[in-house]
Amino acid sequence: MSRSVLVLTALIVLISGSVKADETSVPQQPLRSNPPAVFALTGARVVISPEKTLEQATVIVRHGTIEAIGTGIPVPADAQEISLAGKTIYPGFIDAYAEQSLSSERLNGTARYWNGQVTPQLSVADQAVSLPDTTALRRQGIVARLIAPADGVIRGRSALVTTGNGELNTTLLSRDVAQHLLLTVPRRSRGGFPGSPMGAVSLARQALLDAQWYRDAQRAIQTDGSLPAIEQNDALASLQPVISGRMPVIVSTSNEQFVLRAEQFAAEFGLSLIVLGNGREYRRLSEVAAIKRPLILPLAFPKAPPVATPESTQDVTLESLMHWDIAPENPARLDAAGVRFAFTTDRLGSGTDFLKALRKAVARGLSPTTALRSLTMTPAELFGVSEQLGTLESGKLASFVITDGDLFAEKTKVLETWVSGERFEYSPSAAREAAGHYELQLTQAAQFPNRLYLDIRESDGRLRGQVSRLPIPKSGAAAAGDAAKAADKQKEILELKNVRISDTLLTASFEGKEWGFEGTVRVSVTLTEVDAAVKDRPTGIGTVVWIDGSASTAVVVRVDQVAAENPTPPAEAPPTGTADAAEKPAAEPAVAGQPEKAAPKTENKPIAKASFDVNYPLGAFGRPAIPAAAKLTAFVHATIWTCGPAGILEDATLIIDNGVITAVGKDVAIPAGAEVVDVRGMHLTPGIIDCHSHMATDGGVNEATQAITCEVRVGDFVDANDITIYRQLAGGVTAANILHGSANPIGGQNQVIKLRWGMDGEGLKFSEAPPGVKFALGENVKQSNRMDGGGRYPTTRMGVEQLFRDTFEAARDYARRMDNWQKTRRGIPPRRDLEMEALVEIVQGKRWIHCHSYRQDEILALLRVLEEYGITVGTLQHILEGYKVADELAKHGAMASAFSDWWAYKFEVYDAIPHAGALMHQQGVVVSFNSDDGELARHLNQEAAKAVKYGGVPREDALKFVTLNPAKQLRIDHLVGSLETGKQADFVVWNGDPMSNFTRCEQTWVDGRRYFHREEDDQLRQTARQKRNTLIQKVLSSGEEMRGAGERDAEASELWPRIDEYCAHFRHQAELQKVRSGTETEK
Amino acid sequence: MLHRISLILCVFLGQTTLTTLTASDQIPGAPQKRPIALVNGVIHTVSGAVIPEGTLIFAEGRITEMGTRMAPPSGADVVDLQGKHVYPGLIESHSQLGLQEISSTRSTIDSSEGGLLNPNVSANVSVNPDSELIPVTRANGVLIAVSAPSGGLVSGRASVMQMDGWTWEAMTLKPAAALVVNWPSGGPSFRSPAAGADNAAENREDPVQSLRGLFRQAKQYLKARQANPSGQQFDSRLASMEPVLNGQIPLMISADDVSQIQAAVAFGVEQKIKVILFGGYDAEQCAELLKRYDVPVIISAIHRDPRRDHEDYDSAFTLPERLRRAGIRFCISGSGRAETWNTRNLPYQAATAAAYGLPRDEALRAITLYPAQILGVADRVGSLDAGRDATLFVSTGDPLETETQITHAWIQGRKVDLTSRHTQLNAKYLEKYRQLAEGR
Repeated sequence: MSRSVLVLTALIVLISGSVKADETSVPQQPLRSNPPAVFALTGARVVISPEKTLEQATVIVRHGTIEAIGTGIPVPADAQEISLAGKTIYPGFIDAYAEQSLSSERLNGTARYWNGQVTPQLSVADQAVSLPDTTALRRQGIVARLIAPADGVIRGRSALVTTGNGELNTTLLSRDVAQHLLLTVPRRSRGGFPGSPMGAVSLARQALLDAQWYRDAQRAIQTDGSLPAIEQNDALASLQPVISGRMPVIVSTSNEQFVLRAEQFAAEFGLSLIVLGNGREYRRLSEVAAIKRPLILPLAFPKAPPVATPESTQDVTLESLMHWDIAPENPARLDAAGVRFAFTTDRLGSGTDFLKALRKAVARGLSPTTALRSLTMTPAELFGVSEQLGTLESGKLASFVITDGDLFAEKTKVLETWVSGERFEYSPSAAREAAGHYELQLTQAAQFPNRLYLDIRESDGRLRGQVSRLPIPKSGAAAAGDAAKAADKQKEILELKNVRISDTLLTASFEGKEWGFEGTVRVSVTLTEVDAAVKDRPTGIGTVVWIDGSASTAVVVRVDQVAAENPTPPAEAPPTGTADAAEKPAAEPAVAGQPEKAAPKTENKPIAKASFDVNYPLGAFGRPAIPAAAKLTAFVHATIWTCGPAGILEDATLIIDNGVITAVGKDVAIPAGAEVVDVRGMHLTPGIIDCHSHMATDGGVNEATQAITCEVRVGDFVDANDITIYRQLAGGVTAANILHGSANPIGGQNQVIKLRWGMDGEGLKFSEAPPGVKFALGENVKQSNRMDGGGRYPTTRMGVEQLFRDTFEAARDYARRMDNWQKTRRGIPPRRDLEMEALVEIVQGKRWIHCHSYRQDEILALLRVLEEYGITVGTLQHILEGYKVADELAKHGAMASAFSDWWAYKFEVYDAIPHAGALMHQQGVVVSFNSDDGELARHLNQEAAKAVKYGGVPREDALKFVTLNPAKQLRIDHLVGSLETGKQADFVVWNGDPMSNFTRCEQTWVDGRRYFHREEDDQLRQTARQKRNTLIQKVLSSGEEMRGAGERDAEASELWPRIDEYCAHFRHQAELQKVRSGTETEK
Repeated sequence: MLHRISLILCVFLGQTTLTTLTASDQIPGAPQKRPIALVNGVIHTVSGAVIPEGTLIFAEGRITEMGTRMAPPSGADVVDLQGKHVYPGLIESHSQLGLQEISSTRSTIDSSEGGLLNPNVSANVSVNPDSELIPVTRANGVLIAVSAPSGGLVSGRASVMQMDGWTWEAMTLKPAAALVVNWPSGGPSFRSPAAGADNAAENREDPVQSLRGLFRQAKQYLKARQANPSGQQFDSRLASMEPVLNGQIPLMISADDVSQIQAAVAFGVEQKIKVILFGGYDAEQCAELLKRYDVPVIISAIHRDPRRDHEDYDSAFTLPERLRRAGIRFCISGSGRAETWNTRNLPYQAATAAAYGLPRDEALRAITLYPAQILGVADRVGSLDAGRDATLFVSTGDPLETETQITHAWIQGRKVDLTSRHTQLNAKYLEKYRQLAEGR
């Protein structure tokens, strides 16, 4: 039998009386079982609620409910009295979230939603076929838990179930408690739609809109019986309480950004949101608090990063160290910020560490009052079962926890858990109980000893031990002896092997060689009075089988009991519910008569607080706050590349005030009170704008599963934590166009951002930029380079052209339908379709197309289709053969956002040439050079110089390829892109000519705030290094278990690529990376 | 400007062959017949001082003389540089030039043989001299490039190639510059060879043991083959290891992490084989080790992101300077960033290293002299010295600056055609717009 099984069996449920409410429809079989079900629990300290505690109180339990509670209550005559002197009774704990996979097969043949990820009609209460075992949870004091469906985007409804035994008939407390959403999909779940986080949100959004439509259409039909019926849809029907706000919606999140995204989603539809948290909320504490939604918090705290060797430390980021350091304070910080929360065992594995983790949270500052409320009242309120659970009051369920002391003290044990009157008693772990010293008085057997002494020790549930013919000194004393003695002892004291405890049977063996008999001696002891508190009383009978097979019988006396197991109650338990109880951990009273057991582990060990404040974003190069906006400031003696009509100005002045440029020129008077910054020798240029980027998103870049996905929005997943933002600031980038990938002809909606490093995702958005959408042509959309060969329409450029026509016609039809409804308001209200809405915006010219394109034929074909529909393209992206039809581009008014010199990474770019930018520019096309690459964007000024080299574009115009021209292309050139009065103060300070490869970016300003400065960067890296060293030392001295080599603490969103993985050159890059690192990269 | 365009146009119109996938239109230069004297140029010898107003003479493919205001020998072709600059050909120390045409189209890729162990394959034999990438590369002054096999654990032999020639044989400068090894990461720790396992080759569980097994088996094979030729049958892979074991071919080991670098160096020491590191991101932390065993680093690349989120944003930019200060021999490769199709951008990566601290003359050496030394071809290329190959180019300025134009180039004295698919297509469409303008 394996050791783990033994340890499991060590959890002994002594009694399991079935005393639930006895009214049931289930026929009783003979013989009928009717155990007494009335109890009086007397003499206990009863914690009624986090605020109210009764001393020496009595609780009367009758048929599963609390009949009475208070001091001085008489014990009813029919009650079994249980004396709980010295014990404490707490309201039972509620595990606020657990997952259970449901079968969606039961929806086959029903009126379901078109997409299998939307199954709101599934209910846990309908399918509670194999709920996970509750034994471990009960032992943690948990009496009820919310069980939620585990799969899909709109997953279904949860049920609140007790942890008692029995069928759902008796354990179900509340069905359909909440609807459950996951606004993302797991990585590599690629199959159907959605294949990306962006797609998941879009799907959920559309489903809720559909539910609204379902409601409105039903109402219209009810009002006007002549209207035709609409489809029946169980999913949409079951979403009605959700969109009306009656049923709470629990949204799972994987980091602090997902919490804010969940709020945005909930606000959009007026949902009653409860956030399933993630342990990283402290990173945006004020924003998370500001949403004023309750949270369900996991208590799984991160393992220590692997810093055992210098080599493994290399990969340990400051962010992961800070997370390890701060995460246990997450609950305390949320509490202090006024956030209401419940707890979940989710992510804790088996849940057996629930109380341990809870105590850690309390030790790290969470008030015991809040901790208790979060275990009891808060979840009861959230789930609408305050009448049954949450506090101990008459009329509520007899669901409570009995402990031997203050719940939050490290050594306190759960002695009993009552679930709706069902009593579960626990002996302490048999393994721990077995630890101690034993004397075996043996019947004589030939040459063998007649006394053996065993010293059994337990650690982590495993037993080890030693055996001697002489009494073994108590642990710690061994060090006292001199060397000679030690040598003797080594011979005398032998190691026991195979020490096991199974229920009451303790077994072990040892080698007798050192004692003069070669062979294995086996020992077994039946512990008959494990719980005996009396010293030197026989505690068992055993057998010793010697090497020759002869046996001695042993009378076993336990010569000392482990003090911690002594059931003597603490004389003075610290009051629960006072805020300072955690600050001075329960003074474990010394137990009289056992001075050597000084309870070392529960000593008032000083609790380390997190070493460093949260910075934004967390980790290296984050700041305590975003940089302050400069007041009136004059940069003087600069060479200013205005990229405006003023051209390049030598020895000129730039004046900014509160985020805006107020003057620029050679003879600008410096206003009084201005701060003057002498930048002699430096060059100032507008901030660099990257018109094609995939950084700062964790939405997956591509929703590749369908040919048309313009309902998905990159803006739903702006990742403000991407270090690339800071690295690009260091290259002078101030704004970027975050585009959907190129996997489909009509992709998702793009998001223009400003590089406001330190702000949250919403703060990064360039709110004035008009909306746009990604289109794509050629190899990627016809799926030529995909391993699976594609097969979805279109598979040729001919098909791509037809798809556009077909889609635009559909959009027009849709627009007509909607217009008609708006005018007449007659008939069944039409269904809002987000994909169609985006398409209507496109055909109406309100949403700019950014089209990935390479070959001249496909470019021309697109332009012609657009022209037929009166649409001007926003930009042509990549556009590597644009030089062949530059005149046509100019005629259409198409702008070109290109690579400076990329080519030959796939067949359709074999004709790409670096002169393309110049050729198009010379034909009057507005040209920009972009990166499509997190690294390349760091030196786009070098890219601009290539327009000079290849084709002789004037230097001043070439710089506009990365400043003014991309601003024009994004229709933000009235705000940024040049250094002109009235524009936003986005600019770069270079230490020389920006077109030189020897030049370095010194400062980058966005909105008049200095987001990058070489000198400050130097301080930031020093700070990061110091913090890192401090925390590495802290990990090493903590003795905590570290993550294994391959183990990551990544949360799901980090796994999504920040590249367009359908762009073929990245495959090559990823391959190279794979070759180099020998590992598979995420791509 | 106009003059130059029309020149290019002439070149284009003079060639009637259509551009196709299989052959570039540029015609390899003819062997040098007469001495050539470059006069009135700024000669950047790289190995020594810059010679202003200099003359450089080469004959029969070799540099014969250099000096200030020297008279050209009689019978020499004289090229007046009018103050332009002369540099030794730039050297890309790691690429897939000639082995890959279109990186996403498998049928055009010959860089990665199957299986883990390919010590016997050699890059130069499958370099396509008509690759369109070659004229594009050399047009920016990159006249020498290592073509390196990739993939697996032992990828094969990397060859130093000249960027002009009718055949791969004509292009080959050094067929076996190094045996390319990809050091595994995150695998089992490096163990002493004492732990047996003679069947270690192709041990996918522990790639390091595969590598060790290959070396051990090769030694045994060579011994057995000598002792009993009929008993020990031929084995391509093991037989190919002889010059490696003899120390004639160094290992070019791809390694970026500290643990990879440490293990790779230790392996070289254990096998008594010279090691060149490729990648070298963490090399600064291994400075003492690298210096003690004189292990040079091919830095790849400058334009790359920091490997870890907490590292300095410019850590890749400053790596050459940090290695220089630590006293580690290094050179700069653009590989990994500027992919094979943009090997031409090598000088700009060196420039970025200079922008972030590397002295400019060192930046130039890092793509000329230093790679030549590390690859063992410094007696032929990498600097301008009498006796070296006349593999050089003329430019309007510092080739590390993008705006600089390359105006002439010679490889072993053969004049290099600086046109390419790119200049031809440019000329073609300039003509389109000329026609359009005319029609207006």
